[in-house]
Amino acid sequence: MIYPFWDVSTGYGILMAVIAVVHVFISHFAIGGGLYLVVTEQKARQNNDGPMLAFLQKLAKFFVLATLVAGVLTGVGIWFIIGLLNPLATEALIHNYVWGWATEWTFFVCEIAAALIYYYGWTQLTARAHLIVGWIYFIFAWLSLVVINGILTFMLTPGKWLATGDFWDGFFNPTYWPALVMRTGVCVMLAGLYALLVASRQAAGDFKMRIVRYSATWGLFGLVVTTVAQSWYLRAIPELTTKLLPGPMHALRSAAWLAIAIGGLLMLGWVLARRLPVVVAVLLMVVGLAWFGSFESFRESVRKPYVITGYMYGNGVEVAKTDRYKKEGYLAQITYRTGDDGADLFRHVCRSCHTLDGYRPLKPSFDGTDPKFIAAIVRSTQLLTTNMPPFLGTAAEADQIAGYIYRRVDQRPFDQIYSATDLGRQAFTVRCGKCHQPGTPSDKSKSFTGQSATDLNSLLDNLPELAEGMPAYTGNATERAALVGYLQSLGKAVK
Amino acid sequence: MNLPNYEFLSAPLQLVTGLHLLTLSLHFLAMNLLLGGVIIVLLAGLRKRWDDPTLVKFTKVFPVAMAATVTLGIAPLLFLQLVYHRQVYAAAIVSGWFWLLVPAAVLVAYYALYRAAGQGEKTGKLSVPALLVAVVGLLYVSLVYSSVFAMAERPKLIHDLYAQDQSGWVWNPASSSYLLRWLHTILGALAVGGYWIGAIGKDSPAAFQTGKRFFVTGVVLAAVTGSAYLMTVPGLMHTRAIGVLGIGILLTLGSLHLYFKKKFCVAGVLIFGSIMAMLYARHTARLLRLADYYRPDSMHSAPQWGPFVMFLICFVVVLGVVGYMVRLLIAKRA
Repeated sequence: MIYPFWDVSTGYGILMAVIAVVHVFISHFAIGGGLYLVVTEQKARQNNDGPMLAFLQKLAKFFVLATLVAGVLTGVGIWFIIGLLNPLATEALIHNYVWGWATEWTFFVCEIAAALIYYYGWTQLTARAHLIVGWIYFIFAWLSLVVINGILTFMLTPGKWLATGDFWDGFFNPTYWPALVMRTGVCVMLAGLYALLVASRQAAGDFKMRIVRYSATWGLFGLVVTTVAQSWYLRAIPELTTKLLPGPMHALRSAAWLAIAIGGLLMLGWVLARRLPVVVAVLLMVVGLAWFGSFESFRESVRKPYVITGYMYGNGVEVAKTDRYKKEGYLAQITYRTGDDGADLFRHVCRSCHTLDGYRPLKPSFDGTDPKFIAAIVRSTQLLTTNMPPFLGTAAEADQIAGYIYRRVDQRPFDQIYSATDLGRQAFTVRCGKCHQPGTPSDKSKSFTGQSATDLNSLLDNLPELAEGMPAYTGNATERAALVGYLQSLGKAVK
Repeated sequence: MNLPNYEFLSAPLQLVTGLHLLTLSLHFLAMNLLLGGVIIVLLAGLRKRWDDPTLVKFTKVFPVAMAATVTLGIAPLLFLQLVYHRQVYAAAIVSGWFWLLVPAAVLVAYYALYRAAGQGEKTGKLSVPALLVAVVGLLYVSLVYSSVFAMAERPKLIHDLYAQDQSGWVWNPASSSYLLRWLHTILGALAVGGYWIGAIGKDSPAAFQTGKRFFVTGVVLAAVTGSAYLMTVPGLMHTRAIGVLGIGILLTLGSLHLYFKKKFCVAGVLIFGSIMAMLYARHTARLLRLADYYRPDSMHSAPQWGPFVMFLICFVVVLGVVGYMVRLLIAKRA
């Protein structure tokens, strides 16, 4: 809260995801592709395989253009965007890991120099020298993963660092090794995928078949390593089962299905090797990108509500300063004020993850409600099923946030916003569903079985007494009747 | 709760400042070669000053210069953020969109330079549109950097601008604080670009003459704008930065003298020294401007010597490996 807040209508998650996913998709290829090039070149030179060397030269050009330009600059883009979206977390990471990043930079310098010499040296270096440069490239590219992996996994599982603050305790954290193996597998898999894209443009024939099958083997091998290491990685995340809420579960399931699709497409490529159409190779790239997007989305969502687990929440609130926030409130900690306290609080407390009507919108959650209900939800964010950070501010600040949100939502009563047939379900979703989603552990449908309308009305009258943090029911009579009817239908649906 | 504190400096301030100035000087050298070189070649192309084959020869080097500029730009930004994070992030957030467009502009410029190099190789002709795109991209980046980093030295301005607009579409309105500085950067780049054009094209009298003209004119104009800019910094005249700057000017004059004698290597070393001197003055100016708000030496220091030694060893190893690879390339060419 010591930094200004970049109030962009585009959700932070989307901005980050677009840049980060494109970057990892290219940067992992930058490592695996380097290995693919040098291993294949070595083999081709041993066998005096001219067509293969010509193919590799073509691949090397594509490799340099993709990795040195788009890969490097999307990497720089991540630096720029994290400083804008979560400057405090970036500050914490830089202060703890500046020498890690500086070390990675030295590897990066070597990687770039080697890539350029490898590319420009195709016709100028001796075969032996060219291979040496190729191996240097791969080794330093992989070493850069060795370093950055320590910082990335630290954010999810800081391990002993939380107690010691020691550089190495955080670096070699519980998910370090599985993530390193998994990401190495991804590098190999992507090398195969990218090579297939270049191979698909070759004329149909025996050489195409050879190169497609060879590249598909790389892809499949990488996929197997990735899959095995991923299960190791998942087991290394402490208390994973308690973190597997709908968001991360959905991302994990998507990643699993997409991995199956990659495997299927690679096998299809194997079968169609002689005349692999470009469209299949492009589809593989798209599915590969989607897989990476799903995995990164899982990694981000399973970390919630933190940006650095156990240390800093996603909205930049430091766990260590919990008592200070509770005592002094948020406003006292916000350095850059605009004169509108409600807006300032909303930005610093909620906007890192939510927009009003775009990415993770709040408007549908509060349309038709009132400031009292909104404030009650704001005060109880840690109880919601979406793994949100706790609200650590004062009651007055919750009211200010509620007032800010209320002025921007649809203020008509529920029965004027939603149709009569859908009113009960909508009222349930907004009033109850944030905590008691049917089918989740906190599902209360069973308790409604056999309850009369009078019983349920009485229940609605006494909600704050049922559990800490339950908001009072504040809807009008029409909405209440529809909600009661819907609760009864939920009770009847329970077998 | 007893959690680790992140508000510390993981090496002594002087060490971080030294590394920042060293890596920033390397970045500036590469950037000046690139930006100045591209502008000069583009102007020569537009005015049909040299024959195309000579110009095409230069375009082949631009993608490599760009790679060097970007790569060498990462470390100084890291060290800058380590010490001046509060100011740099705050200013970047206020101009968020302009700041975020920097990597995009570099990306476009980078591909344009590859395009120019590829076109040149294929057709033997200079691709003026591609170079024009690259120049526009590079000028945008330099202007945003000047604007944001000038804003970062004025915390009150950041507060005022943010209070009015939080969208990230705020351009630094205090143009007097950065236009001279930006102009100095561009003119300095033209001077160094002139040196580079002359050095690379030493066998072409036209290239050497053009390089000489840009080098001399660039140095004179950069000195004028640089002096004018430094005079706007209160108290700078009473610091040792002025003495360092004097050494920098002597080094520049020495490099000009050596350039005329076609001793390009030594001239290049002197140029690097003068860049370091100017960046030291620039660093002093930042400290003076921030003096009322922030003193870097007030930050708690808790050196991480183990990781630092790891960095140092890797740095030395990498220098050796890069040198070895360059030797492989040169040996074969020879």
